[in-house]
Amino acid sequence: MSQRSKVIQLYKTLLYMGRDYPKGYDFFKKNLRRVFEKNKGERDSEKIDKMLAHGNFVIKELEALYMLRKYRTLKKRYYEKS
Amino acid sequence: MASLAGVRILIRNTGKFRNPISRTCLRSAVTQLQSNERYFHWKRQSILTHVPQENIQSIRTYSTNPDIKKIEERVLNVVSAFDKITSDKVGTRVKQVRQYSIAEPMSLDLIRKRVLLVLNLYDKIDPQKLSLDSHFINDLGLDSLDHIEVIMAIEDEFGFEIPDMDAEKLLRPTDIVRYVADRQDVYE
Repeated sequence: MSQRSKVIQLYKTLLYMGRDYPKGYDFFKKNLRRVFEKNKGERDSEKIDKMLAHGNFVIKELEALYMLRKYRTLKKRYYEKS
Repeated sequence: MASLAGVRILIRNTGKFRNPISRTCLRSAVTQLQSNERYFHWKRQSILTHVPQENIQSIRTYSTNPDIKKIEERVLNVVSAFDKITSDKVGTRVKQVRQYSIAEPMSLDLIRKRVLLVLNLYDKIDPQKLSLDSHFINDLGLDSLDHIEVIMAIEDEFGFEIPDMDAEKLLRPTDIVRYVADRQDVYE
């Protein structure tokens, strides 16, 4: 898989992941786009690899965020004030 | 097998056989059993006949273009069927009725309209400039990230995923229309 399609894949996955972002999809989309555009001039393949790794790390973080949110919601339903 | 089980039941249940059993006694028990078995059998059958015999049908109705005559016919059918139902025929089970709706028929024209609608709703595309043959990147001024978003919107609209390899080639609305039509087996 070429690096370009990897980046496209990453962008697509992040867009899917951002649909339930707590601050809203628009906020997420705007920031995601800004980040991608900031690095659009990058040509060094090693640096791009690092950025891709970082992007995958962000995906994992988002997953963790959703899990935590789910956990908190469930907890709130079982224990009213704690 | 049945008779053996019967013997066991008999031995367990009747005090007569709890006493030391002789061969003759057993033999008589077996003969007795055979008659008993018939009795059981008869009894079982009689139970069976009391069970309401119903055939469960599932009716599938499809929504097609209804015309009044067909509806009339169907209603009459239902009414006449209802007349035949008497209280002993009605079981405890509820008849299943399944209703399906067919997918709306796709045509190239419809696909074209839907694609254009999606593209018009996308905020970075100027509806005035948009036509079926305009190139996303060269004519409409989108970049590759926008293009990905457009493809995602199309995926959402038509409900299937477009692989990245194919998505790269879909650079004009006509390409998208052709791709979707191929995918849905629409050729006219």
